[in-house]
Amino acid sequence: MNKVVDRSLGDREFVKGADDDMIICRCEEITKGEIRRAVHDGMYTMAEIRRYLRCTMGLCQGQTCAKLVKGIVARELGVPAAELEPASSRSPMRPTEMYIFANEESEEETGVCL
Amino acid sequence: MKRYDLIVIGAGPSGLSAGIEAAKSGANVIIFDENARPGGQLFKQIHKFFGSKEHRAKVRGFNIGSQLLKEADEAGAEVRLNSTVLGIYQDKEVVVRSGEAITHYKADAIIVATGASENMVPFEGWTLPGVIGAGAAQTMLNLHGLLPGKRVLMLGSGNVGLVVSFQLKQCGCEVVALADAAPRIGGYGVHAAKVARYGIPFYLPYTIKKVEGTDHVTGVVIAKIDQNFKFIEGSEKHFDVDTICVAVGLSPMSQLMKMAGCEMDDNPKKGGQVPVIDEHGQTSVPGIFAAGDVSGIEEASSAMIEGRQAGIYAANYLGYIDDEKMNEKEASLDAALDGLRQGMFAPSNRGKKIEKTEEGIDISENLLAKGYVADDEIERFPGVIRKIGIHPVMECTQNIPCNPCQDACPKGCIKIGSKITSLPVVDQTKDCIGCGMCVASCPGQAIFLLNENVGDGMAEVTIPYEFMSVPEKGDKGVALSRSGHPLCIAEVVSVKSSPAYDKTSLLTMRIPKEFAMKARFYKSEVLAKTV
Ligand SMILES: Cc1cc2nc3c(=O)[nH]c(=O)nc-3n(C[C@H](O)[C@H](O)[C@H](O)COP(=O)(O)OP(=O)(O)OC[C@H]3O[C@@H](n4cnc5c(N)ncnc54)[C@H](O)[C@@H]3O)c2cc1C
Ligand code: SF4
Ligand code: SF4
Repeated sequence: MNKVVDRSLGDREFVKGADDDMIICRCEEITKGEIRRAVHDGMYTMAEIRRYLRCTMGLCQGQTCAKLVKGIVARELGVPAAELEPASSRSPMRPTEMYIFANEESEEETGVCL
Repeated sequence: MKRYDLIVIGAGPSGLSAGIEAAKSGANVIIFDENARPGGQLFKQIHKFFGSKEHRAKVRGFNIGSQLLKEADEAGAEVRLNSTVLGIYQDKEVVVRSGEAITHYKADAIIVATGASENMVPFEGWTLPGVIGAGAAQTMLNLHGLLPGKRVLMLGSGNVGLVVSFQLKQCGCEVVALADAAPRIGGYGVHAAKVARYGIPFYLPYTIKKVEGTDHVTGVVIAKIDQNFKFIEGSEKHFDVDTICVAVGLSPMSQLMKMAGCEMDDNPKKGGQVPVIDEHGQTSVPGIFAAGDVSGIEEASSAMIEGRQAGIYAANYLGYIDDEKMNEKEASLDAALDGLRQGMFAPSNRGKKIEKTEEGIDISENLLAKGYVADDEIERFPGVIRKIGIHPVMECTQNIPCNPCQDACPKGCIKIGSKITSLPVVDQTKDCIGCGMCVASCPGQAIFLLNENVGDGMAEVTIPYEFMSVPEKGDKGVALSRSGHPLCIAEVVSVKSSPAYDKTSLLTMRIPKEFAMKARFYKSEVLAKTV
C-alpha cells in the first residue's frame, strides 16, 4: 500500500548525473535532472512534483512518463516506487477540447430522459 | 441522461465477454470503446492463439474479436465505438465523448475493462522519431497496413516483443536483433523459436545505450549490463536501424477506477496500479467491477473468462440472476481460469527461475538464452521422437497453457491429458496419416512432421509456413537449423494449403537424412548460393 513518504529523509546533497539532460516527460519537456532536483527542493509526492514541474500533465496525461517519473522520484528518495502515492486521476481521461466539453448532448435531442 | 443497467467500458476481449454474459441474463447493457473497431488488442493479433478449445485456441486473434462482437450483438448488448469514456462520477455517472459532443450516462453497475498501455524506457535518443512501442508497430502493421520502418531493433523479449518481431518479419521488415535487460528470454519458448529460426540474434542481458540520429533514428548502440544495470565497457554493439520497437511490458489503464474512488493497490506483479477487488471482481465501490488486463496484466484467454465472470457478478448484483445460478456458472469458469494460471508462465511464477518442467525434465538453458533448443537437448522432450514412417515432432518444451494439438489430431497421436500445461506427448501406438492438422493448429508453430527415411539417404520435413511468397513444389532452397543457420540444400516436394489450415501453409522439404532432426525452416534459393 502507499505510504506517506517520510519527510525526514534528510537533505541529501544533489549530485549531478550523467543522464540528467535526458527528457523524461516529452509533452512538457521536463528532464531527468529537473525531476531529481525537484525532489531535493522538497517535492516528495507525485502530486507535488506534478504541480511544481507540470510533468505528467501534458497531452499524453502521463500515459508515457508517469511510471518513469515515479521511478526517478522513488530512486531519489530511496523508497520502493510502489510506495509512492500516484497523482490523482482526473477527468477528462483523454485530452479534450473545451468546445467539446461545452457541447453536451441535451436530453431533448437524445429523447431519453430520466 | 441515458440510463442503462450496466455500462461496460472497453470492448476488448474482457469487456465484450462481460457485456455478453450480462446481456444474456436480461440486463440492459451498453459497451463503450474509444477505438473505431471493437476487440481491443485482439484486432491487432494476426497470430493463432494459445489455450484450449473453450478459449478459442488456434483461432487468430482478430477472428476471436469478430466472433465476440457477433455474440454481443446476438445477446442484445449495444456496442458504441469511437466513444471515449472521459470520467466516472458519483453515483455511477459516466461521461462519454463521441464525435464533437459529450453525453452523460448512468447505470446501476459499471464494469471497467479498459486494458493496458505500453511502458517506455528512457535512453539517449528515446524521443527521436522512430522509437515506438511494439504495440504501436503492431497497430501500424495489422490495422493500418503500414510498415513502421525497414530495419528494426526490438527491445524486450516477452511475448509481445517476440510476436511483434515475427510479424515485422512477415511484413518484410528486417529485425536486426532482439535485446533484453533480463538474462533470460521472457516470453514463450515457442515464440522465441520462431524468431530464432530466422536467424534473428538475441542479446541478453543487453539494453540500449543510445539511439543515434538527429531528426530520426539512424542507428542504435546496445551494450551488456551487469547485475547493477551498469553497462559493461567494451560490450557495445552497433546496428544501422531506422526503427526501435520497445516491448518492455504493459501497465493497467486503471485511472478511471481511481477517479471513481476505488481503493487501489500498486502491485508490480500485476503491472502497476490495479483496483483492489474481491472474489467477485468488485472494487471497493459497490457496483463497480474490473476485468481483464486493467486488474492485472495477463492474456486474452484469461481476460475473456474474467470478463464473463464480471458479467455474471454484475447481473447478480443487478438482480437478474440469483446466487445459486451465479455460483453454478462461476464454478466452471473458475476451473478454466485456474487451468490457465498454471504452468511456468503462471502469474505466481513471474520472476522465478524454473529449472525443470512439471514432468521433471531439465528446461533447455539454450532456449532461455538464445531462443532455440540446442540439438543435444531437444530429444529429452517427450514430443520429440524417432520412428519409422511419418510422425509428428512437437518442439514444445515448456509448460504453457495450450492444447490444440491434442484436439487437432484425428488419429489421437498427440496427448496432453487433462492438465492443459503438460507437455505434448506422442502416442507411439497410434499411426500418423500425415494430414498436417497438428502442424497447422499449433499456435507456437512448434510441430513438424518428419519422415526420417524416404529412401536414397533422404528425409522429409514438413514445416508450418506463414510468409507472403509461398515457395512452390520443385523449388530449391536451403534448410535452416533452429538457430537459423544454413544446413543443406532443400527441395520443396509439396506445399499444402487448405481452409482447415487457416492460412498456414504446410511446406514439405526433402533433405539429406542426417539433417532430419535439425532442419526446421526453409529459405528460398537466393540464400542457397551461400551454402
Ligand atoms: C503483441 C501482443 C500479443 C498478444 N498475444 C496474445 C496471445 O497470443 N494470446 C493471448 O491470450 N493474449 C495475447 N495478448 C494479450 C491480450 O491481447 C490481452 O491480454 C487482452 O487483449 C486483454 O484484454 P482486455 O479486454 O483486458 O483489454 P484490451 O484488449 O486492451 O481492451 C481494452 C479496450 O478498452 C478501450 N478503452 C480503454 N480506455 C477507454 C476509455 N476511457 N474509453 C473507451 N474505451 C476505452 C481500449 O480502446 C480497448 O479497446 C497479446 C497482447 C499483445 C500486445
Ligand atoms: S499429421 Fe495428422 S495424423 Fe499425424 S499427428 Fe498430425 S494431426 Fe495426427
Ligand atoms: S505443440 Fe501443442 S501445446 Fe505446444 S504450442 Fe503447439 S499446440 Fe500448443
